[in-house]
Parts: sequence; C-alpha cells; structure tokens
Amino acid sequence: MKKQSDLQPAPSSVFHCTVNGEDVQLRLPADKRLLAIIREDMELTGTKRSCEIGRCGACMVLIDGKPVNACLTMAYQCSGKAITTIEGLARPESLHPVQQAFLDEGGYQCGYCTPGMIISVTALLEDIPNPSEGEIEEALSGNLCRCTGYGGIVRAVKRAIDQRRERP
Amino acid sequence: MLLNRQSSGERWRARPDGPGKVTGALAYLTDRTAPDMLIGRVLRSPHPHAAILAIHAEKARALPGVHAVLTYRDVPGLNGYGIAVQDQPVLCVDRVRYVGDAVAAVAADTDAIADQALSLIEVEYRLLPIVESPAAALADGAPLLHGDGNILHRTDYKRGDVDVAFASCTHIVEEVYDSPRQMHTYMETEGGLFVPEKDGRLTVHSPTQHGFMDRLQLSRITGMPEERIRILSSPIGGSFGGKDELNVQPYGALLALKTNRPVKIHNSRKESVRAGLKRHPMVIAMKTGIDANGAILAHQVKITADTGPYATLGAEVLNFATEHALGPYRYGSVEVDSVSVYTNNGMSGEFRGFGGNQAIFALEGQMDRLADACGMDPWDFRLRNMRESDAPGPFGQPIAPTNGAKQAWDALEASSLWQERRQNESAATVLRSESSGGMKAPWLKTGIGAAFIMHGSGLGVGIPDPGGGRIKLAPDGKIEVQFGYEECGQGLLASLELMLIEQFGFAPEDLRLVIGDTDVVPNSGSTTASRATTMMWKSLQRLRPGFQKELLAAAAALLGLPEELLRLGRGGIWNSRAIGENRGNRGREADVEYADLAAAAGDMAGIDISGIADTGSGNAACKHGADVDVTEDTEERLLLTYRALAGKTPRPIVAETSFAFPASPFPRTGAHYLYTFAAVAVKAEVNTLTGRVRVLEQYHAVAAGPVVNPQGYLGQIEGGSIMALGYALTEEALMQQGQYATSNLDTYLIPTIADAAGEMAIEPIEELPEGDNYGPRGIGEIGSVGLAPAILAAVHDATGKRLNRLPIDPLQLAERPAFT
Ligand code: FES
Ligand code: FES
Repeated sequence: MKKQSDLQPAPSSVFHCTVNGEDVQLRLPADKRLLAIIREDMELTGTKRSCEIGRCGACMVLIDGKPVNACLTMAYQCSGKAITTIEGLARPESLHPVQQAFLDEGGYQCGYCTPGMIISVTALLEDIPNPSEGEIEEALSGNLCRCTGYGGIVRAVKRAIDQRRERP
Repeated sequence: MLLNRQSSGERWRARPDGPGKVTGALAYLTDRTAPDMLIGRVLRSPHPHAAILAIHAEKARALPGVHAVLTYRDVPGLNGYGIAVQDQPVLCVDRVRYVGDAVAAVAADTDAIADQALSLIEVEYRLLPIVESPAAALADGAPLLHGDGNILHRTDYKRGDVDVAFASCTHIVEEVYDSPRQMHTYMETEGGLFVPEKDGRLTVHSPTQHGFMDRLQLSRITGMPEERIRILSSPIGGSFGGKDELNVQPYGALLALKTNRPVKIHNSRKESVRAGLKRHPMVIAMKTGIDANGAILAHQVKITADTGPYATLGAEVLNFATEHALGPYRYGSVEVDSVSVYTNNGMSGEFRGFGGNQAIFALEGQMDRLADACGMDPWDFRLRNMRESDAPGPFGQPIAPTNGAKQAWDALEASSLWQERRQNESAATVLRSESSGGMKAPWLKTGIGAAFIMHGSGLGVGIPDPGGGRIKLAPDGKIEVQFGYEECGQGLLASLELMLIEQFGFAPEDLRLVIGDTDVVPNSGSTTASRATTMMWKSLQRLRPGFQKELLAAAAALLGLPEELLRLGRGGIWNSRAIGENRGNRGREADVEYADLAAAAGDMAGIDISGIADTGSGNAACKHGADVDVTEDTEERLLLTYRALAGKTPRPIVAETSFAFPASPFPRTGAHYLYTFAAVAVKAEVNTLTGRVRVLEQYHAVAAGPVVNPQGYLGQIEGGSIMALGYALTEEALMQQGQYATSNLDTYLIPTIADAAGEMAIEPIEELPEGDNYGPRGIGEIGSVGLAPAILAAVHDATGKRLNRLPIDPLQLAERPAFT
C-alpha cells in the first residue's frame, strides 16, 4: 500500500508555454503529464490516450516542431516551449495538407490513432520533405494503428509528399 | 480488377466522419466530460482464483473526495451480465475466477483519490487452486469453476462413419494446431461517461456494437426499465468484436445512479488488457484421409477452446469454429467434436472472425499437408475437393447458392503471385531464394503460399437476427436516416451515405445520418457478424419504393404535376428527363407552365430553381423560367427543395422497415445461410539466422458481391489482413498461472508500419449468381482470416518446414549457419 508521504502531490508551480500559438500559463505540479494537461486542463481532446508508456503514438504532439509522446512529457519539460496539438494544424479556412491527404486517401478508420499519426507525418515532412520508404517506416513506427493495416496511411503520406513537391 | 482509388473513380469519396477524425475535432465517447463529473474506478481481483472471505470498504468510504464505494451489496438488480448467459458477476460476491474480476467500484473527485480509495479497500481472499488450461479443467478431480462443472458448451457434427472411411484411405494426415490468445488492441480503451438526468433517466455514453443489448443488460443490473436508459454508442475508437459485450458500463451506471453525479471511466491500457476479452485460444486436432486420387474420404476434428472464467459468447464462437473447421470442401464422412472449457485464464469472447480464424488456420494447414502427402499442388488439391456451387453448407444445411468458392479459386490461380509460384515449381530450382529473388543472402529464403476461406455472415439459425431502419423527411428538410448500427471505424456512415446517393439520388448535404442513440434509432440488431452492410443495403432496398413514392406524391400535389414527371435528386425534387419524351402519351393535362411552378414556388421558403450548375448539365435556363414549358423540356431542373417540401407537407413522410437476416431453414443453431469466400496468396521471406518471417507481397481475392464502398472495402481487407499478420507472427497474450505475462503494448506486439510493409493487391469479385437478391455480403471479418495460414504455407515453401502453432516461433525456423 502507498505510504501517506507518497500521496502528496508535487508542489505546483507556474508554467509558461504556447499551445497552438496561444500563450498559456498554468499552475501545475511539475510532474503532471502533458497528456493530462492537454486533455483535461485545456480540454483539447484531439490528442488521444492509449498506452501511456510511449509505445503507441496516439498522444503525439509537437514540441518546438519535434514529435513527442505527451504521455511521457511532464509539465516542467514544457516550460518555455511551443506546443502544437492536432487542433493547431488546420487553418480556419483549410485543412493542413497532411490532414487533407489523410482525408483524400482514407488514411484512417476508427480515427483514434489519426491525430497522432498526422502529427508524426507533419514532423517527418518538415524534417525530410522527400523521405524514402525506410524513412517513412522509421518515422511512423512509433505510431500504432490497429484498423487500417497502414495501407491508407502510407498512401496518404505519399500523397502529402507529392503535393508538397508540386507546391512552389 | 484490382481495387484502389483509381479503379474506384467517383465512388472513392471522403468519409462523412473524416473531417472530424483528421482534425481531432470529433469527440469520442471517452473524450466527453460533464460539469461536476466524478471519476470512476474498479477494483479487480489480484488472484486468478480465490474465495472472498470479507470486503472492508470503510476506510475507502471515509476518504475525503470519495463519493461512493460499491460492492456486490450495492447492485440493485441482477448481479450478472453476458450477452448470451448472464454468468459474469458485476461485482463478485464470494469468489473470483480471473484477474479481471471486479470486486468493488469507486467514484471520487479525482483519479488520484479514486486510486487511493482502491488501495484502501481491503479484501480478504482464500486462494484456490488455479485451473490453468482446458486440459487441467477437464482432468479428473479438477476444481469446479461453476456449479455445473467446467464445460461451457459442447457441440458435435457427424456425417457418415469416419472410422470406416479411414480404413480405406491411402494417406492420412494427423496434426494438432495451437492458436494464441489474441488481443483486440483497439486503440481506444474501454470507457465512457454516465450521466443521471434530472428526470431520473440515465444517459450512457459508451462504445458498444449493439446499443439496445447494452440497454437491456443495464436495465437488468440497475433494475431500471429499459426506456429509462439511453445509450449513446458511436463513434468508437475500434472494437473488432471486443466491445460488443459490456465492459465498464455496469460500474459507470451504478456509480452515477448512486452518487447522482456524472461519472467518467476510462480504462488504462493495463486494465483493458487484464479485464478485456481476447480471441479464444484453441487446440484443434485434425485427422484427415484421402484416397489415391486425392479425394477426401474422412475428416475428423476435435476442438478444445479456452473460454476463460465466464460465458459471454463462448458457446456461439465454438459453434462457429465447428462449422468453419469444415470449410468449402467435400468429404466422404465427417466428425467434429468441440468443447469450450472454463479456466482461470483471461476472458475469451467475440473477436473478428469469431472462431473461424482458428478453425481455418487448422483446416488450411491440413489441406497443405494432404497435398504434400499425395504429391499434388496445394491449390490443385483444393480444387479437387472443392464444393459445388449448389452444394449445401458445411452442416448439410441449405445455403444461398454461391459460386464464390470457384470464383475465388480462379482469381488466385490467375494472380501473378500464384503464377510466380507455379513457375518456381516447374523450374524446380534447388534454391528457391535464388529463383524468386535473384541473388540474396543465402540465409534469406522466400516462399509463396495460399489459403482458402469460406466465412459465414449473420448470426445463424436460431439466434434472433433482426435488421431494419427508418428514413424520413425531417421538419428542417433533411432526409434523416436512422439505423441501429454503430460506427466502429469500418466506414459504416460512409457506406450508408454512398448507398443513399446511389440508390435514391440524394446529395450528401441533403442527408442526416443518425446512429448510435437508443432513444432515436430502431432496434436493428447488432453491428457484428459482417451483417450491418447487408442489412443497411437490404433496408434501403425495401424503404426506397415507398419513401420515394410518398415524397413524389407530396411534391406532385404541391406542384400540380403528375408524379411520373418527378424524381428525387440533389437538393430536392427534380423534373424527370423523361418529361419531354413521354409527353405524347400523357396528353395535355400533363402540361404545366413553368410560370405556374415558379408562382407556386414563390411562396415556398426554400425553393430553389437556380444554383444547380453543379449538376453538370450546365443548365442556365431557369432564369428564363417564365418562358419555359417544363413539359416541353428534357433539361433537368430542381423544382422543389426538400426543405420546402417538408414545410408544406401536411403529414410527416416516414418509412420504416424491419426484417430478419436471411437464415437457413435448418434445425441447427448457428448454421449460416450466406457465405463469403476469399483466397489469399502471400510471398514471405524467412531469415534462417534469426527465424524471423517477413511478408513481402500479398494478394487477396474476395467474393462478397458488389463493392458498396470502395474505400471501406479496401480498408477492411487491408486492416483485417495486417491483424492476421500479427496473429501469425507476434501476437500472443501469454498467461502464466492465470496472470497475464504482458500488460501493455511494449510486450504485446501488434504490427507496426514497418511490419506491414510490402505490396498488397485486393481483387473484389462482385458477381453474384443470377437472381441473388441478398445483396452485398459483409467483408468486415473475412480479411482477418486467411493470411495466417497462407504465411505458414509460404514458410513451408521457403524452408520445407510445416509449423502447427501460432504465432510462429522463430526458434523453429532458425538454423545453425553452415559456413562452407
Ligand atoms: S499514449 Fe502516449 S504513446 Fe501511447
Ligand atoms: S484508424 Fe483505428 S487505430 Fe488507426
């Protein structure tokens, strides 16, 4: 059984960061998980919870442009960082090109892995605009999908790559 | 023709639920919250088998922030659940039978407090001997897990005398096939939000494949009348059969009712693994004999399934396995004996394929071995023994005539993958790795294998299998379509939308699709057994004539035009192209000046006779309306919007249908009437240094009637197949002494994008026998069946080794390298 001392929450402090471009100040225990902060405190539920051990990628967000598992990230690690969730990708008038590619190719079924998958693809293409098959596999092997068998996902990634290439 | 985006043309459409899914805006049921909500948690047994001596909940109840601690004493109604048999306790009374058994439930202000409360509940247990396997459960003197013993269900089937037939066989193959406990691994774990309403009703937001079944079960448990419970059940973050049975709903419901506060439960992955259903591990012994010409004379099967501690659908799964252990083949004589056994392992239950995966893995292994024995090509051997198109089903039951077996066989035979294998055979090269892959590392061996699948859809004889739906013109002018089926990700909404567009002529923006709400939808049965697509298609076929006629009659009355001149279309009622052509027959009374129409339209809000440029007709004539005689005109025009029609029609226009899924007129529970066929070929590479198998290329032929929704079809076969890849290569929820040896996705390995690499070609065979009006067959399950046995065949082709256990153990394929 837990000792009483274990049950004391870590003392709260104030953290500043931006989430989807907006300044955010939160008073939180330093070890609170970013996933809980996003989903519960900020009520942005596009970021999903599934394994909570960094294996499935359902919780993927961008921190300063790099894909990170929000379930493994603690509040103090976000201090001063720019966080982008799936809700921050689309513009009011149009989907992000990666989102559009997933929509066009049917790169999703139940959709539960999709936000995390799209975040990982976005990060990949920012990093390597024209990735090889091997690079795609490597970049996405931390994102599990149980529904699609990845066929539609791979087609969506390729479409996103092609469209990026066509854009000036 | 291979199915892909290009070959689907305009039928390839963005799904209606797509934008919400790619933007993250779609709130799943486990994303929902309510003001003042509490967090619910369940205390589960740490022991696979124990007597409960006492439960002390006082300390937990006294903890600040705890609002309720429930034990079995707090279950107002039936303390049991199960779709078929209600033998699983909601909260255990005096005994626990597996590590997921629930003993108490807590509602607290926060998750941390709830967690602490669980740790304060003291349960005194007396450990009981663990029944670790079906063999142990069936042994003499085994502890009895239930009052009437350790057997959930036995079934058998016999035709002819196998013992006599074996005596005249030239070759007999005997093998025992072992299949693993596969986890559904839906990405969204079980959960939901449970809200007591002001009027005393209870609203349940929780994924399930059959809202009305949950309502019935929760009514039994809570003692509330069914109508007082509302189940909201879609969207679902994956289910695959695993969320059909109740999971957290009883606890959420009871806690919400007890505290009169909304309660949210969302299982951790660990809890999901521990408490949730898995695919039944089965041991299937087969003995099959053939004559000198390769005809099967006798087929004997013994199936033993580990069903875990409680029934759920274990009996039904066993019936299905029994039927599918026979498959699309002819036998001189047959004998199947099956038993599903209670153990202290995890719960087994419904899972995509429903017992067919295990049975077909064994059966196809048997066919390959028999082909070996008589020196035939394995595919030719299957043809030699294949059922005729008008043959009865596996149990001798009448089934819908089908040529699917031969169609699938032919398609695979013609596939480039199988042709490659045929060439390899005739080239008779010693080193297959060289013949099919060019120069490669000598420890990489490639092979090609195939499997054949016959899969029943619907629930089968003797099980209520209702279908139906409702369509209406809603007051706001939307065509509202209501079905009791769920969106688990399979693309049900997209299929429904496409059918409505194609069959009725509606446009997507005319439609409102309503599912997953027991207060609104008709009870059209479960979203299981590959039945929902067939049921929706059939429902729409039945609804269309009446609904269309009513809409057109109402429009005709308003417009003063004969019905025959009108048709349904995008946005509303259009004049039919046939008007001008048919005019001669109809005479003068059919003539209506367009000006009259326009005048009639003028006082109808919503009428729109312009803005139809997007119909492709490029029709700009409407603005000259007053000069145009519609009856003289073969150009199509929108005459009356659905909204205007809804505003003017004196009574609501609604059509509803209900009927039963087609069943065989045959007195055997579970026997199927509609079957789908598939053939799968796969090229796999075995690394004989590591024993690892990699799939390089797949081909799937699926004979399931017309493709309703190309994107969904492709997704179901691809997704099912990769699930079978995991079944074949990596997935097993191992248990040791009744405890899961794996608790999360770091040790339970489902395929990643890298594992799923390789080409996959999918060829739908759409042609049905003439006069078949059962419509498209469901394909939700069949894709998940064939790849595993096909991989085993490919492994044999590559290495000469016949394996009999899934997932493949690399140690069986690793070889000591010979450096010469
Ligand atoms: S929930 Fe974070 S990786 Fe799975
Ligand atoms: S779409 Fe369901 S998990 Fe990926």
